[in-house]
Amino acid sequence: MRLLLRIRLLAISLIAMSAMAPAVDAAAEEPVRPVTSAYMFNIGGAKLVNTYLTPIKYSGIDFGFAYERMQAMKFDPDRWVMRLTASVDMNKTENPVRNADMWRLVGDVSWGMTYRWRLPFGIVVAAGGSTGIDLGCMYNPRNGNNPVAVEAAWTVNATGYATWQTKVGRIPVTLKYQPTVPVAGVFFSPDYGELFYEIYLGNHSGLAHFAWWGSYFRMDNLLTADLHFGATALRLGFRSDLLSTKVNNIVTRAVTYSAVVGVAGEWMSLNPKKRLDPKARIISALY
Amino acid sequence: MTVIAVTACGCHKVDEWDNNPQGNFEALWTILDEHYCFFEEKGVDWDATHDKYASKINPKMTQRELFFVCADMLDELKDGHTNLISSFNTSYYRKWWSDYPENYSERLVEQYYLNFNYLSTGGLDYAILPQNVGYVRYGSFANPVGEGNLDNVLFYLESCDALIIDIRNNGGGNMTNVETLVRRFITDRTLAGYISHKTGPGHDDFSKPYAYYFDPADKGRIMWGKPVAVLTSRGTFSAANNFVSIMKYLPRVSIIGSTTGGGSGMPFNSELPNGWGVRFSACSVLDCKGVSTEFGIDPTPGCEVDLDPQAALDGHDTILDFAVDYLTSGASVR
Repeated sequence: MRLLLRIRLLAISLIAMSAMAPAVDAAAEEPVRPVTSAYMFNIGGAKLVNTYLTPIKYSGIDFGFAYERMQAMKFDPDRWVMRLTASVDMNKTENPVRNADMWRLVGDVSWGMTYRWRLPFGIVVAAGGSTGIDLGCMYNPRNGNNPVAVEAAWTVNATGYATWQTKVGRIPVTLKYQPTVPVAGVFFSPDYGELFYEIYLGNHSGLAHFAWWGSYFRMDNLLTADLHFGATALRLGFRSDLLSTKVNNIVTRAVTYSAVVGVAGEWMSLNPKKRLDPKARIISALY
Repeated sequence: MTVIAVTACGCHKVDEWDNNPQGNFEALWTILDEHYCFFEEKGVDWDATHDKYASKINPKMTQRELFFVCADMLDELKDGHTNLISSFNTSYYRKWWSDYPENYSERLVEQYYLNFNYLSTGGLDYAILPQNVGYVRYGSFANPVGEGNLDNVLFYLESCDALIIDIRNNGGGNMTNVETLVRRFITDRTLAGYISHKTGPGHDDFSKPYAYYFDPADKGRIMWGKPVAVLTSRGTFSAANNFVSIMKYLPRVSIIGSTTGGGSGMPFNSELPNGWGVRFSACSVLDCKGVSTEFGIDPTPGCEVDLDPQAALDGHDTILDFAVDYLTSGASVR
């Protein structure tokens, strides 16, 4: 692959720069595992409802930033891939008659491992699990004693990805679809009519709830196309994130759907004191 | 995955109402039906109330007509914490205080007792009365009181033999200010009361009352251990009513004046499809005996006093006079 060749060239040039470094036993060299990282901005629409704050559905805009880091894992780089993600999203929404605002700010961090299968025609499919933390809140400024609905969850997720290497004209393109669905965990919710003042007074009972699909359903879909220009790529895509929870007769729903624009690339971290075997295998996280 | 998503969201259903007179009326009735906390205590048959007012709704009525029908329905709750809020009006049940004497005149106190000469800090006006009794006026619990403010006030009044805290017509505010103030009058961890919230949409779905406690102010803060009189009127409401419910059971504290206005339900907010806001009592706060104070708190026995309008014309606040006599005669020391 042309991209692989570019990465090899990058690695070789770095080796040349470290020519003064002491020689090491080439037999001890491990495969090179470049880091695939991406910085993404997303902007689109959002629909929110939280019956602790209001029974009315709000709609508006979603904008956010996400970071993704993927790398073949050291113990079995051909099969296992690590993925770290972090994102921050903000929603500004209005009620249908547009006389009230509701804001949502949420951040999440997750780490996971996937097992991949290389299929014919340059298709790679991976499946695995991840665990992550989501923290944030919805804020309805018109409410006095109940202005905020806190979102806090720790979940164990099913996740995976599918990639396909292709070309658009002369530009190499990597198409990727990446869904994540929590399957279990713990999440926060006050009781049906419980005010945060009562929690402030010290009543912390019954705030943590077991998350399963009946009480906590979330599905994050990320579809991207990386258009490779040299060592970096322009990432274009679409993201949809659906969160729907029901506990203590409080229903929360947050749906965002947004366009994604970002920069992605594969980067190698080389030790200048260590000589790299020019024949070392380079194992990408994506293909 | 799509099937799972649709199924999960289908389970998490959210009620929806049309934005028309019928839809907005039903939304308002349902929000109160599922969240209001005093139906049983007030003996309100909410289903019957629905039938009474639903018959007044018609598709062609104007927003103003709808507003006043809905406001009348809310008035059936006789609750000063319940409001319907639109761009042209905010409904408000006033009879909880308008049917009673006001029992307070700010001008009377300032002119004849303070001679317009008093200090003010953190929402507190304070001075020393000629009988060597400290006087503190706290007009609203919405005004934040800082620990430093209280240190200065109590230090200034340190030489006084007793203290009057005047919260007549104090309509409430922030409950955390209640705690800040009470902590200066207790020496040990003190049971302040109980709080109970709705656990579901049923009229009887309530949590077990949760006991909450206040601790004395931090070491180094100025405390008050001498006799105290808290002056109350029907306008003493909500957070001010809560302050009285706690102070009433402290040693050397007397409640003087008239029965407070109540308002022990902490309010929640919600909204209707047409954008109107609604506010209503949602969490019941009980006193340290587990008794509701929604209908008000009576003064200490023997301390029920009204402001005599005739005496007021001669520059006498009969409630304040009673309090000064009560404190200086030693009757306040139980």
